[in-house]
Amino acid sequence: MLMCRELAGIASDYIDGELNTGRRLSVQMHLMMCRHCRSFIGNLRASTELLRGHSSARVEQSVIDRINHHVTEALSHRTEDPDSDR
Amino acid sequence: MTLNAHPDPDENKLVEALKRGEQAAFTEAVSTYSAGMLAVARYYVDPANAEEIVQDCWVTVIDAIRRFEGRSGLKTWLHRIVANRCKNQLRTSHREITTDFSERLEPELDSRFNASGRWATPPKLRFDESADALLENGALSDCLDKHLGHLPESQRSALILYEAHQHKSDDVCNILDVSASNLRVMLHRARQKIFLMVETFQETGEC
Repeated sequence: MLMCRELAGIASDYIDGELNTGRRLSVQMHLMMCRHCRSFIGNLRASTELLRGHSSARVEQSVIDRINHHVTEALSHRTEDPDSDR
Repeated sequence: MTLNAHPDPDENKLVEALKRGEQAAFTEAVSTYSAGMLAVARYYVDPANAEEIVQDCWVTVIDAIRRFEGRSGLKTWLHRIVANRCKNQLRTSHREITTDFSERLEPELDSRFNASGRWATPPKLRFDESADALLENGALSDCLDKHLGHLPESQRSALILYEAHQHKSDDVCNILDVSASNLRVMLHRARQKIFLMVETFQETGEC
C-alpha cells in the first residue's frame, strides 16, 4: 500500500496527470483515507497556481533596455549596409 | 496545407514585421520574449554571461527570422536558439551541468515523515484564498520572488519554462537537454520549496 512519504514523492506527477492508471488509482485510494495527504496535494496544487499567477519570469527593465539598445544598434548597422537584403 | 502549427494572428503579424526588419517589432519582441530566453540561458551559464548570450541571439535573429517557417511557435524557436548557443559554448569550455536527480523529496519535507512513512508533521498550510487574492499580498509576492531567486538555476529555469511560459514537457526537455524523468524531479523539488516557503510565510508572517 502507498504510504504518505511515497505519495509526497509523486505528488507533482499526480497533479500534472503524468501517472499511469494503476498508480493514479492507488493515489486516489490513499487520498480518500488520508486528510494530511489531501491537504498536501491541495497545497502543492495551490502553490503551483500561485507560481503561474506570479510573474515569475520577470526580469529587470534595465536588462531589457540593454538588450534593446544592442539590437537597435545591430539593426541600424544592417540598414546602413547595402548588402543587407541580399 | 500550412507549415504554421501556431496560427496566432498577433504572432504571425509580429513575425512578418520582424522579417521586414522593423525596429518597433524588435523592441516588442525583445520585451516579450527576453525573460524566457534569459531563463534558458541561466540554466546553462552564469547570469552575466546569460545576458550576453541573449543579446547575441537577438542579433542572430535579425537574419535568421527570415528562415523561420512557423513549425514551432516563435517563443519555442527563440528558446531553442538560446539553448543551442549555450550548449556550444559549454562544449567549447568543457563544462558540464550537474544536477542531483536522485531524491524526489526536499530534505526539509522528507524529515516530516516518521519511520513508517506516515506524516509526523503534517502540512499546516491552509489555502483559503484564491491564488490571485494571495498574490495581492505584496509581502508574499516579494517573498516568492526572493525564493525563486534562491532556487538552483536548473530548477528555476524548469519552473519558469513549464509554469510561467507554459511550455510542453517535451519542449522543456529539448531546450534544457534533460530527460522527461529528470524534468519531473526538478519541477517537483522546486514546487516543494515554494510550498514550504508559503507555509512558513502564512504561519509566521516571515519570509
